[in-house]
Amino acid sequence: MKISDSIYLRGINRIKSFWGHTLYPQKDKLWLVIWITGILLLIWWNAIFLNRPAFKRLLTGFGNTLFIASLVIVFTLILSWIMTWFLYVLRHQKKRWGFMSVTFVLNLIRSVPQIVGILFAYVAVQGMLYRGMISSDVNIFVLTALAISLFIFLEVVDLMQERIRYFQNLDFYNAMRVCGFTDWRIINFHILWKNSRIHILNKVISVFGMAVFLQCSVDFIISVGLSTQVSAVNLPTTLGSLLANIDSKQDILAIGYSLSHPGYISNLFFKHLQGLSTAFILVFTLLSVFKISNGFADRYRL
Amino acid sequence: MSEIKYDITIATTNRTLVDGQNFAFTPGKITFLLGESGIGKTLLSKAFFGILDEEGLTITINRQAYQDYVKSRPIMSMRQNGFFVFQEPSTHLNPLLTLKQQLNEGTLAKLSDDDGILDDLWHKTGREVVQKILNLYPKPYRPSGGEKQRILLAMAFKKMALLRQKRRQSKRALFVFDEPTGNLDDAYRNRFLDILFEQYRQLGFTILLITHDYSMISEIYRRHKNIINRIEFKELTRINGAAVHMQPFSAERYLSWLREQHPPAALHKKQTSRASVLQIKQSFSVYDRRFSFYSTAKSNKPVELCIQKGEMVYLKAPSGGGKTTLAKIVMGLQPAQNIRFNLAGLTLTEKSKGGIWPKYIWGKKAVMAFQHADEALNPQATVWENFRGLPATTSLTKKTFKKHLNAVFDKNIDERFMDNKAGLLSGGQKQRINLLRALLLNTDLVILDEPLNGLDFNSIRKVLSIIHQKQKQGQSFLIISHNEEIFDHFVPRTHIYYLRHAVKQ
Repeated sequence: MKISDSIYLRGINRIKSFWGHTLYPQKDKLWLVIWITGILLLIWWNAIFLNRPAFKRLLTGFGNTLFIASLVIVFTLILSWIMTWFLYVLRHQKKRWGFMSVTFVLNLIRSVPQIVGILFAYVAVQGMLYRGMISSDVNIFVLTALAISLFIFLEVVDLMQERIRYFQNLDFYNAMRVCGFTDWRIINFHILWKNSRIHILNKVISVFGMAVFLQCSVDFIISVGLSTQVSAVNLPTTLGSLLANIDSKQDILAIGYSLSHPGYISNLFFKHLQGLSTAFILVFTLLSVFKISNGFADRYRL
Repeated sequence: MSEIKYDITIATTNRTLVDGQNFAFTPGKITFLLGESGIGKTLLSKAFFGILDEEGLTITINRQAYQDYVKSRPIMSMRQNGFFVFQEPSTHLNPLLTLKQQLNEGTLAKLSDDDGILDDLWHKTGREVVQKILNLYPKPYRPSGGEKQRILLAMAFKKMALLRQKRRQSKRALFVFDEPTGNLDDAYRNRFLDILFEQYRQLGFTILLITHDYSMISEIYRRHKNIINRIEFKELTRINGAAVHMQPFSAERYLSWLREQHPPAALHKKQTSRASVLQIKQSFSVYDRRFSFYSTAKSNKPVELCIQKGEMVYLKAPSGGGKTTLAKIVMGLQPAQNIRFNLAGLTLTEKSKGGIWPKYIWGKKAVMAFQHADEALNPQATVWENFRGLPATTSLTKKTFKKHLNAVFDKNIDERFMDNKAGLLSGGQKQRINLLRALLLNTDLVILDEPLNGLDFNSIRKVLSIIHQKQKQGQSFLIISHNEEIFDHFVPRTHIYYLRHAVKQ
């Protein structure tokens, strides 16, 4: 009787929590759904009202941007894990000079503003493209993603280092060492995987947002025209370069026009879709990533 | 008066925290509640006393909603006339009020003269010293844990003194003491029991005393025999999952078991080869503090600490006296000065390189089980994952691991237990897992820091029996423990060492 009572109470709580707790407070999941739904609706609208070549450009740009951002996540994780482990080994083997030299190089990278660093990396990619060292789109994507990762990965390295230092001060790190567990297992499995993957995942969400923002900003800058040597003409289309396209510029200017001619507003949704959709995808994606990251941090009390 | 039974369920939306069946005691009697750490003694007692914060929890007591239970007349009377002494004094004192202000808060202010109570609790300490302590703001490090504990006890005794003015209500009062002696040494613990039983004799209220300290039983049978018929010893045991059951605990069983224990002296003489596993020079320093080993409590002549193959050595020192520090020095986790020791054939000094320990010692020649099982295990990893990767467990499969688990747990362990997160286990379960991890390795030396912390009587017996078996197989043990009563029975007098600040010759 008592057990059935407790099942009943738990059932009631579960129903309450469906509306009150489980669904609404998980803002990360909510915003993921909002983002996917928003993007799908936008694509559907564009499929109906945007001309074919522009629609194809938009889809390609969006796809390429997502692909590069995903590559950035992969490279960032690999680079940061290798660097964290390397620094741990140097510190533990008391290689002071080695540790200081690596830290100096990392601080040097840290001191360069991300957008400037990535801009220079783009110049290098352009140079390679002109000399015919790279030709396929995939290679360009990989190099672009690597360039962005190089100026982002330190944020993840700092997080991983901080987590390792925190756990090194707890008994469980020493308790495992004196039992003969290898540092490799304690650091990788027990600290980074078991105790820090939520923190790392949260950082990865921000990395995704940063990758989209930085890549589109740089693409936009070089598409507008940095010099005669560097332009995005030979680079695959992304949301950044699409935004710098002359048609898109006119679409954006149409917003200003519609402010002085309110009757023109309805045309924005039918005649100026390329530029406005690109801008909307960018802003909406960054807002959603910000909300997802916040919700995720809230959910896991990070 | 007859026994009153309560069924208490405490659950979150996701899981049942504790399902206390037959939580029973007799009004007007003293109930000692024993049981392993983390099984739910505190949670059930707080719920029963009506002070558990309900936020995020669903609490039912005898199928009654918690709010109704808390507001019922007998429970309100029991709570208003009684007192709850919390387990951890540091976290239950307000750091923004002096101890004196806290001692005179609320209804306690009605009794302005508390000098007698304080004199009783600070036996033979000058009143000036006590007054100085009372003017302090409680901080984590000052006053000491024992002093804070005595302040909480003084509050309870003040409440008892107030009960004298309304004797009719004294029978309805309940006084709950949650680990009241955790921070007290044996002398102050005995003093507390003397005062408590004296008050009880005069007022006849109900007492619920939660403790892990089984040696209290011996003290009661030694010095308070005349009150034994008013005392009930109960134990909270796990049935399965979150379900726990309160049942009588036989104090005689514990006492007779203790009487039967004796150091295996004959075995030692026969099996001990003269190979020394650990040998530490008489003295060592940690920063500016110099420590020495002595063979008796009052001796002034330092001796070498020596553990030979198959021996168990018990190291005694007051709380904070350097026992754990020494263990960490031996395991290469803490630096020391002027130290020289021999560990299973390796000579180590303060100049030895840190790389020696992981290469030759950890998990190979020596292992250590840390004091706080809570912190020694990875709470996010499962029980099985906390063992995977041990050097001696390349052949350890889940099946063989289950056999080892069965050796330290009472019942046949469910396969699913291995996949439970360590953080969700009770304190007693964590402690057994923590000890098992060290005992699984066949190292020459095993250092156990407070191995009986948080264990119930059955687990204590099981753990000690495993230690004995390992000793017979030739493993040596260095034991650090506050539980002097049990280890004094287990370790030969000659194998007990005292660690103290060095005496200048």
